[in-house]
Amino acid sequence: MFLRTKNINLSPIKTIEIFASKIPDVISLAQGVHSFDTPEVIKKAAHKALNRGLVAKYSLTYGLPELRETIEQKLAEENMYYDFEEEIIVTAGATEGITASLISIINDKKNEVIIFSPAYVSYREIVKVAGGKPVFVNLIENPSADSGQADGWQIDFDSLIKKINFKTAAILFCNPNNPTGTIFPKEDLLKIAELARKKKFFIISDEVYKDFIYDNSAVPFFSIAQISELRKTVIRAFSISKAYAMTGWRIGFIHGDEENIKEIIKVHDCLITCAPVISQYAAMAALDYADKEIKEFKKEYLKRRDLICGRLDELSDYFSYQKPNSSYFVFPKTLKNKDSWKFSLDLLKKSRVAVVPGIAFGPSGEGHVRMSFGRSEKDINEAFNRINKYFNK
Amino acid sequence: MKQVFKKIIEFILKWLAKIYIFRANPYVIIIAGTTGRHWIKETVKNALEEKSFSARANKKNFNAEIGLPLSILGLPSGEGRFLNWLDILWQGLKLITNRQLPITDYLVLEMSVDKPDNMDYLLSIVKPNAAIITTITMIYAENFENLDEIAEEYEKLIKKLSFGGIAILNFDDERVKNLKNYFDGRVLTYGFSDGADFQAINVKKAMDGQNFILKSLTDSEVSQIEIKRFGNHHIYAALVKEIIKRNFKMSSSDFFSKMLK
Repeated sequence: MFLRTKNINLSPIKTIEIFASKIPDVISLAQGVHSFDTPEVIKKAAHKALNRGLVAKYSLTYGLPELRETIEQKLAEENMYYDFEEEIIVTAGATEGITASLISIINDKKNEVIIFSPAYVSYREIVKVAGGKPVFVNLIENPSADSGQADGWQIDFDSLIKKINFKTAAILFCNPNNPTGTIFPKEDLLKIAELARKKKFFIISDEVYKDFIYDNSAVPFFSIAQISELRKTVIRAFSISKAYAMTGWRIGFIHGDEENIKEIIKVHDCLITCAPVISQYAAMAALDYADKEIKEFKKEYLKRRDLICGRLDELSDYFSYQKPNSSYFVFPKTLKNKDSWKFSLDLLKKSRVAVVPGIAFGPSGEGHVRMSFGRSEKDINEAFNRINKYFNK
Repeated sequence: MKQVFKKIIEFILKWLAKIYIFRANPYVIIIAGTTGRHWIKETVKNALEEKSFSARANKKNFNAEIGLPLSILGLPSGEGRFLNWLDILWQGLKLITNRQLPITDYLVLEMSVDKPDNMDYLLSIVKPNAAIITTITMIYAENFENLDEIAEEYEKLIKKLSFGGIAILNFDDERVKNLKNYFDGRVLTYGFSDGADFQAINVKKAMDGQNFILKSLTDSEVSQIEIKRFGNHHIYAALVKEIIKRNFKMSSSDFFSKMLK
């Protein structure tokens, strides 16, 4: 029984959250959710659609045409040209889009998917769910690198080349990276593209944090989906939920060449039929009217990033870190605790602060923890008061 | 209360827009239909600017009762904030009373109808010199009974075309094509089907876009067009762009600059 799921694990983030939920008065810096509510303009659009009776029926499997048309317009503003009718699928968050993509790509002959370590925890399990085998390639941490430098967490290309073989179906990465906040430089992405072209594997680029870049001058953000010659190789995922404070609405999209999308849509249809229709109406309002709110969120995150880095500086005997230039996570090294699971559980038990053990993000994440600064300043301060006490008891 | 406030805003904006049009007298191109309006709006604006005309188009979805007059006046939305709206109405008033009213040669306006008789209201704000109709489908039209009811809205638009105006119709959509019966003036059609005045044939997809052969019945010319976009809606937009390029005269500044070369 359950042979297929025997080796699939619940995400450690969720595991930590479950532990945390049993302890009263916990402050969680574990989950990648932020403290903001969905902007009013989005909620109003959802209400309007609900009251007009538009959300009770399925949408087309691809998603509402008017939403996809809006997505096409948004993509074109970023020099990505995709046909809304055939090349864009509205998904239940980026994760569902990535899962559908991997299920359609992986087969008996090509079943290995390369994932960077550290990278988003669920990638490993998604690959397994899709019947594939995750293959980790380490990002190398440069301890002397400062915020936003290209060599903060570098791709180990020697290792990457060694791990690519005839079974490689795809490389899946998050850019900017979760949990390190690294923005991969254009030259590195082009090197990956060249490998993909030669060895015939797909590139799945998950860009859910691209709206949270604090300084685009250090390493300018570049999307691999901007290169038209790569359109048959690249599948790009984006989550509307992260950018617009809509994580609970479960809404995102993927896009790629028609040739690939027509295969992925079959899986998407089997998985969820269509993305939640009320969320699709909300997403349309988000893309049309909530750019101002994104700017506000970003300003607030910048303040919180500086706050959390300042608090980490006070604990320099216990943590070293690179100031993240994007996303809302910091990934400090725990200088006196090498076992990140043990440390995270101990911190949770003794100080009622939840963080995610670095090992969850891949082998090279060991000896680190991920802290989210999506939480309010009050929560961040209280969490660090407790962490301070934990170390200085 | 909110509804009353909205009605007052609508009423004032409508009259500000009407006065602006009366004073500025721009050539008005209306783009209507269920789908593909945005792309056609962009290409029409580009085509006019390439001919050195000044052209202004609606931003985002500013295409209905409130958005349309805001587009005509070139003003932003108050986004549900009372003080913002007061400021916007004040800006509108200053604009129309300005002795040196900023002049735009062309207004390229998307019009969206989402319920019966919507078109009557929009046409009470602005009359078209040219109308481009894309498609008539049920996609966004939950308030209509059937396609014929939607088509009736576009009939109203075509009937309101000014003397000497031009109707540009999608030949592939039967209901849009039949709108020609409601206009005695100049009609040009575009599409993939045989018989369209501007027809796209031999469409091919490349890595960086699409290309096709443009066959024009009006001047028996055949030419190759390349576009850096994907999807049939961009081919339609490219066909309309050709219609604009070939059927709208060049601006006086462009004419003289070309003469000097």
